[in-house]
Amino acid sequence: MTKKDIISLEKVAKEIRALTISMIVKAHASHIASSYSIVEMIVYLYEKVLQINPKNPLDPNRDRFILSKGWGISSVYAMLAIKGFFPKKLLEEYCTDGSKFIGGSTRNGISGIEATTTSMGHGFPVGVGMALAGKLQKKEYKVYVIISDGECDEGSTWEAILIAGHHKLNNLVVLVDYNKWQSFGRIKDVLNLDPLADKFKAFNWHVQEINGHNYNELEKAFLAKSLAKNKPNVIIAHTIKGKGLSSIEDKNEWHYQTPRENEIAEAKEKGLL
Amino acid sequence: MKTTFINKLTELMQKNKDIVTITADMGFSVFENLQQVQPKRFINTGVTEQASVSIAAGMALSGYKVFFYAQAAFATMRCFEQLHLDVAYNNLNVKIIGVNAGVSLNQLGVSHFSVEDVAIMRTLPGVTIFTPSTPYEMQWTLDEAYRIDGPVYLRYSKLQAPDQPKSPSLSLGKPSLVKKGSDAILLVSGGILQIAQETVALLEKKDIAIAIYSMPTVKPIDKKSLLTISKNCKIIFTLEEHSVIGGLGSALAEIFAEIPNGPLVKRFGIPDTFIGVTGSARYLLAYNGISPEKLAAEIKKILAKKV
Repeated sequence: MTKKDIISLEKVAKEIRALTISMIVKAHASHIASSYSIVEMIVYLYEKVLQINPKNPLDPNRDRFILSKGWGISSVYAMLAIKGFFPKKLLEEYCTDGSKFIGGSTRNGISGIEATTTSMGHGFPVGVGMALAGKLQKKEYKVYVIISDGECDEGSTWEAILIAGHHKLNNLVVLVDYNKWQSFGRIKDVLNLDPLADKFKAFNWHVQEINGHNYNELEKAFLAKSLAKNKPNVIIAHTIKGKGLSSIEDKNEWHYQTPRENEIAEAKEKGLL
Repeated sequence: MKTTFINKLTELMQKNKDIVTITADMGFSVFENLQQVQPKRFINTGVTEQASVSIAAGMALSGYKVFFYAQAAFATMRCFEQLHLDVAYNNLNVKIIGVNAGVSLNQLGVSHFSVEDVAIMRTLPGVTIFTPSTPYEMQWTLDEAYRIDGPVYLRYSKLQAPDQPKSPSLSLGKPSLVKKGSDAILLVSGGILQIAQETVALLEKKDIAIAIYSMPTVKPIDKKSLLTISKNCKIIFTLEEHSVIGGLGSALAEIFAEIPNGPLVKRFGIPDTFIGVTGSARYLLAYNGISPEKLAAEIKKILAKKV
């Protein structure tokens, strides 16, 4: 990837972080850290991978993207607005009375939102269903799903992993936002997932591990030669919860809290607010 | 019912290329032929009810009408949250087939009984609920399940009533007259209609004439038709192979509670208790007060009070 490409992607990421913190501060909402940890993945998917058209958002041949960890949806709303699925102005409605821009991914007519998720272990198997349907209909589209690491505790997640492996769903790419935090503590302390890559391998998936904030690594992971042709693909993306705002990085309270004076000051300093 | 179900589903799948059937590893001696004739659109997802319902939703979002087949207990309770969020909220074409409802799996005990399924499914907005009582009703409800644009729950037990000599004219949400009678009416959902007919035959010998209506649809219920058949009625009885809480009896009680001077609703079903014994299905029902003799005695007693 050229330096110019990276600068261009970084610009989009910065705009997403800026729009996201504005939305969250205005609405006194939560989950800023969950939204920030996936920003580079979202940017790379929407800018470089997904075959989608905001002017024809329901094209039967479009790629599907599902944010299974739907509580991080604010950064996806920002990305969709940047891509022109709807006007940026609408982001101001986020989490306000009567708004469709709900804090958890909800398929309620917002252009570009494919699935109702946010309850853990739902979006991933819905994506498996879309991938199975694509196979049956002999369509070329691919299904991309971002799941959280905490979500890997759910039984339905492992059911989906087992089923996708069995059916060799090579049209499915799952990205794990492995930021090492779950709701009430460190993953390793609450319910350890390691060795996560080995677990997926044992379920007949092709596994790659990358730094989820590094565009060069994202690019490499999505190269045709990096993706398996005969099995589902998982990209375990090591990330930092809250990435992009040092005052909230890798601190679990930012799963819950709304940025206050300190964080807002840092965001302003960085030109995000 | 099993044979009627599979024959009808196979016919629907042959005719309509947009149907996919998913089973959570159920269907021994049911699906073997379908698996042969529809190898691509019949998918056994294994014992994964939760992911399977989400997968069904994903396939429905991609244009399919998905029939998902599992034991009634596991097709509803095990994956209720998936039914709620993935299927019902999105108003998707997922048709949940709950087999062996009620106490059908009599020898396996409480783990396999399903007497709460209709109650929980009724709480989901937009879900149509069918409880066919005869082979004819099974065919009709499957046709309707395919026709309806949205989620459906179709449950049936091992009990079934015989088809009537003349096929009734069925309509969504409406009661279907099975037998005329002037003393009271009995509304029934599911194959337990068989026991209702035996009950009414016993009462007939005592000169009590009860009209029987089958309710192949438990949700939605066509209020107008219900009020028409219950006009001048002081009491209506309900019978179902389900808890008295939340099923057909409750649905009717909810309607009549809001009708000034409406009839009293007396519900027959599984009482609000767990069943901790085994036995034949008939035994288990009788154990819970549901046998032709017990029901006839109870109805006679209630009518004698001139409610």
